[in-house]
Amino acid sequence: MEDILQGVLDLSGVSAAIVFDAAGKLVDCRGRAIYDRALCEHVSGTLAKAVDTVRLQQEAWESISAYFADGKLLLQNLGEPTARGHVLAVVADSSLNTSFATVAIRVATNKLRKAIAEGTLSQGTADPQRTGPSNPGSSQLAAAGMASSAAGSQPLPSDSKVLANTGVSWSKSSSVGLSRVAAANPASSAFLARCAKQLARHVGPIAKVYVEESVRRVSPEAPFSLSAAAPLVNDLAAQIEDPADRAQFCKALEKP
Amino acid sequence: MPIPPVIAKLPEVKSALVSDRQGGIVEVVREREGESAAAVVGFLSSTLGEAGEHLGLGALRRIAYSGPARGAVVAVAGAELVAAFVEPPSSLPSVERLLSGALGQKEA
Repeated sequence: MEDILQGVLDLSGVSAAIVFDAAGKLVDCRGRAIYDRALCEHVSGTLAKAVDTVRLQQEAWESISAYFADGKLLLQNLGEPTARGHVLAVVADSSLNTSFATVAIRVATNKLRKAIAEGTLSQGTADPQRTGPSNPGSSQLAAAGMASSAAGSQPLPSDSKVLANTGVSWSKSSSVGLSRVAAANPASSAFLARCAKQLARHVGPIAKVYVEESVRRVSPEAPFSLSAAAPLVNDLAAQIEDPADRAQFCKALEKP
Repeated sequence: MPIPPVIAKLPEVKSALVSDRQGGIVEVVREREGESAAAVVGFLSSTLGEAGEHLGLGALRRIAYSGPARGAVVAVAGAELVAAFVEPPSSLPSVERLLSGALGQKEA
């Protein structure tokens, strides 16, 4: 299955490919940068709720597409249209060519359906060690759950100690937990995720560590809240060397 | 806001509604179970919006879902949601385009 998900992840613009079951339990995932297993696990439960909601309106469903300001989310039913089964979720940024991707996702969907029918889809195989591109040339990065990701990102630091610290999540219910920084509310937590995602475009997966450190600097006493959004963005921008990239980063986060 | 006339008049649009974000019905056309449909649309947008926030995708703009016989498009218009239920589902992309245009939204 990981080869199938990797094929989806290799599409230009795709950030993560996730398979979860009808109960919202993560089966497997492949993702770039901040899309680690903890985040995929958390989102799987939410997406399963969305699928159940659609089924209240129409029992038979094949696909769900959600369009956001900064990207897209495509869900594909891997079972019979009327049955509660596995779901493939594809997370993409706004550069995704939906028409082109649709064909590739259909191919992946058919392969996954076949794997399910043959019973070769193993539950709970996802682990942080396997989340991320499987480029053999970047085994150290892959072992840390990461690899060079978004287009335009700079070469990543090769210090394995630094990389090993990036497997964290903002998700309160994740298995890794919001272990090092606290957010005052879901909106603040979501803003931190946006910051990490935008920063990852310029500095790579180390972005999460930078965001954690920055939160500690701008909000050392209290849980991070959106009132500290501007100082946080300014602090994070200092991590980006190129002025044009820095300006792009600030612009992307203008509206908390 | 009212249901855009360009949507309500389409023969492929079997029913349509406008609801608030909490699923409260504002306006409905040809939908017998308007309250129930509005609640579903409200909860769906809330759930997918939450997923999008966690994934760092920003604000939700539009949802489209389809099955073998029918589909639907839900667009976020400020504090309200506009939903159109479409048959056959092959007409969904054109309804999406028309709805986005009527709401002044850029195509994603």
